[in-house]
Amino acid sequence: MTLSQYPLPRYQIPGVVGTLVRYALIGLFAAAVFGPLLNMLIWTVAEAWYFPAKLPLRWGFAFWTKVFRPEAGAMKALYTSMVIACLTVALSLVLAIPAGYALSKRSLPLRSLFLLFFLLPQAFPTVAVHMNIARIFYGFGLTGTIWGVMLVHAIQGLVFAVWIASAAFAAIGEEQVEAARNLGATPLRAFMTVSLPLAAPGLMASAIFVFLISLDEFSGTFFVGVPDIRTLPLTMLNAALEGNYQIASITALLLLVPSILFMLFVERFLKADVLASVGK
Amino acid sequence: MDTPRLRKNLPLVALLLPALLMVGLLFVYPLLFSLAYAFRNEGTGGWDLSNFTKAFALYGADVSLTIGVTLLSTALVGVLAVAVAGYLTLGENPRAVAVLRWIYRWPMFIPFVVAAQLMRTFLAKSGMLNNTLMSLGLIEPLNAMSLLDWRGVVVTFVWKQLPFAALLIAGAMASMDRSLMESARGLGAGRLRILIEIVLPQVSATVWVSLILSFVTMLSALSVPMMIIAGTPTMITVDMAWRVNSYGDYGVANALGFISFALSGAAAWFYLRQGVREGGKPA
Amino acid sequence: MKRLHRTLVVSALMTLGVLSGSANAQVTLNVISGGSQNMVDYVTDYLGPLFEKQNPGVKVSVVGTGPDDAGSQKMLEKLLAQKNAGLAVWDTDVIVPNQQKTGEMVKEGLLMKYRDSIPTGKYAISQSAKQALGVNVDGYVMPMFESQTALAYNPDLIKTPPSSFDELRAFVAKNPKSFGYNGLKGGMSGVAFVVGWMYAYGGNPEVIQQGPYDQKALAGWDKAFSELKAFNQQVVFTPGNAGTLDMLNRGEIAMGPVWVDMFQTWKAEGRLAPNLKLKILSPGMPGQPYYYAIPAKAKNVELAKKFIALATSPEVQAEGIVKRFNWYPGIDANVVKPALDTKTWNQLFVDVTPEDLAKNAKPFPLAPFFKDMREQYEAKVQN
Repeated sequence: MTLSQYPLPRYQIPGVVGTLVRYALIGLFAAAVFGPLLNMLIWTVAEAWYFPAKLPLRWGFAFWTKVFRPEAGAMKALYTSMVIACLTVALSLVLAIPAGYALSKRSLPLRSLFLLFFLLPQAFPTVAVHMNIARIFYGFGLTGTIWGVMLVHAIQGLVFAVWIASAAFAAIGEEQVEAARNLGATPLRAFMTVSLPLAAPGLMASAIFVFLISLDEFSGTFFVGVPDIRTLPLTMLNAALEGNYQIASITALLLLVPSILFMLFVERFLKADVLASVGK
Repeated sequence: MDTPRLRKNLPLVALLLPALLMVGLLFVYPLLFSLAYAFRNEGTGGWDLSNFTKAFALYGADVSLTIGVTLLSTALVGVLAVAVAGYLTLGENPRAVAVLRWIYRWPMFIPFVVAAQLMRTFLAKSGMLNNTLMSLGLIEPLNAMSLLDWRGVVVTFVWKQLPFAALLIAGAMASMDRSLMESARGLGAGRLRILIEIVLPQVSATVWVSLILSFVTMLSALSVPMMIIAGTPTMITVDMAWRVNSYGDYGVANALGFISFALSGAAAWFYLRQGVREGGKPA
Repeated sequence: MKRLHRTLVVSALMTLGVLSGSANAQVTLNVISGGSQNMVDYVTDYLGPLFEKQNPGVKVSVVGTGPDDAGSQKMLEKLLAQKNAGLAVWDTDVIVPNQQKTGEMVKEGLLMKYRDSIPTGKYAISQSAKQALGVNVDGYVMPMFESQTALAYNPDLIKTPPSSFDELRAFVAKNPKSFGYNGLKGGMSGVAFVVGWMYAYGGNPEVIQQGPYDQKALAGWDKAFSELKAFNQQVVFTPGNAGTLDMLNRGEIAMGPVWVDMFQTWKAEGRLAPNLKLKILSPGMPGQPYYYAIPAKAKNVELAKKFIALATSPEVQAEGIVKRFNWYPGIDANVVKPALDTKTWNQLFVDVTPEDLAKNAKPFPLAPFFKDMREQYEAKVQN
């Protein structure tokens, strides 16, 4: 670095102006982040909003009852989304726990190549893949079924599940496992009683993450599930394209809540270093 | 590789196998299928470039728009993410840093389809953005215009991807050795200069990773252009869905898919080359 | 660990719930409907409950596949996949497809000839009950309704609305960005505008509508498309059929092509500013029916026939199609009219009179012409 070799001029903005500029910038940033969210919240309680009114002409929860009435399909979509998300989590964990365990061992041959392989579904645009999966699934009768959609979601979730699981297992010291083995435990027993419980917080985090990925997944469901399987994001798209902004906004809110909760609590489950290594 | 090592590790490979098969069957196979069928001429049953000819005749402008929008969004994400991460690392007012840290992550886990819906109402001609600007007297009602075209897509992409990139970059900056920054600060170097000359070179690998992942993510977004861009030109993901859904025309759709794979392939190649040139292996 | 177990148990239970949910239902009549949300609502909110009341133990389940060809293509693919798999019984009982895809489905042998075996078959007298964009569909379909596109405008912003495509062009040249439409990918009202434009400026409208198919008829298209491309520079693109209505409502455009039925329904529900009005541009804008059809190997054929007979009875066409959903009846208007009071009947023709319809309501082009038109639009106007 050449910095120490010559004296540097100081570019210091005077204190008061600097503070003002700083808070103006942060305020602007906050407006950019929260403006769209606030706008959506207003739409959820706008009953009538015509030109040229800048705010709704009538406020209320009329559209909420419309969304939640049984025939509207939003509740059914919520249920479908939940079922698919739970199935996706189960499948991803069943595959990712052994895979993550194997990848956590430095002795595994071609380890970094395998890690890269799991990154593939994130490294290529998915739309073209999804439309071909739908075409292939037709032949197996999987298009338009919960199972087909679950498989597509699991592929998207698997990357994160495998990477987080691998990081979680790698963080466990060898000593404890060794100690259990020395006491005569079989490898499976050592895994079940020592490694798995120690890695559980990380695995829990990966489960939540996969759950969210499945809940929010759009293009796979768009090609493989529609019209028979309609998840919340698809319901929202439909409402939006039909110009039902209130219904779209209420559905959007349903999708937002779990995502934001996850964002606020993610650090309790995941240490920053694990999170930062996700998707690397 | 010697056989004892292989034999010892065979159980590990067996544990890996189900997950490998899953990615192989459900991702790699359809990917190869897509690449191959881009060259399939359904009319003659042969293999040629007719799908590409038709794809460019119908959607040439959309291909250019897709490249432009994703590159511009990626560049904006890069600049803003480095700025945010830089302030989080080098900021000297603890309260401002805390506030920024609390704000910037909100859009991170918001699904693209929801982000698109938010922006669709926010950026419309009589949406909240224009209404606010008009109320503040910053624009005249006559000059109000809708941003629901490629600009809306760029705004949505940046809004959604910025936290992701900023989180990764801030993480890398936080794990840096601070002594160099502090000694430069002691010598009177400005923070902007420290960011550009000292911090950035050390975290460049992370910056590239976050940008390339963002680039590919934006390239595969279907819901955002579908909901935000009314009419044309639009992005090629929308064209793919249109060919498949309206005509069952997988040929042209796969040709467009091929183009999107080629773009992400170029990004990956660029990244690997970058990694080699810096002498380290990619992070 | 405990939590992990719980997650697994919960997901397993939910799976069982899904499986058993479908096992203990009564007879379910599976209906798939194309078109916009209002068509799905029609079955969900009106026709389905009515049919369930008349047939205890039957449950009507409806799935919407969306507007335009894409929606009806989904049905075609679904049926074709079941046909190719050699299934003896298919999982769909009634479909509601658009004209284009109905023709293709008849050609693929995916539909059943049923019309003459239902009591209301004799009411299907319109031309579109026999021909779907040039394909003979006689006997395979009952029209659900007829619908029409028209120009919707805001009379507060436009005192004298254009009444022809020429006047529209002149108006838009003076007032850029006052007109909006949803292009070619955003739903049929936009497609209808393009078709109307081509009828006005592309030449040979009779051949394009009636056939026979001949590439020579396309001679004037290049010029018409390049003019449309220039015109497009001065318009606003709207996001879909509903999007045009929404932008009119929000004052973002002053006029645009819409479906008459959607316009009236939105107005009746209070979703549209009450002052907006309609007009059909001369020399004409297209309209289309949607059809009721039965897949060739439907599971509940008798129930499906009963369902369609109810849906095309004069009473239901009057109460459901005309009064509640503002469509023009799909069956003979002379049997529908007596089932309604004059006021409701006239409500249908407030802005668009029967004379306007007789003069300016056109069909969509013959299927091969239509395909050419769409592709050339994408290549010459959009790209």
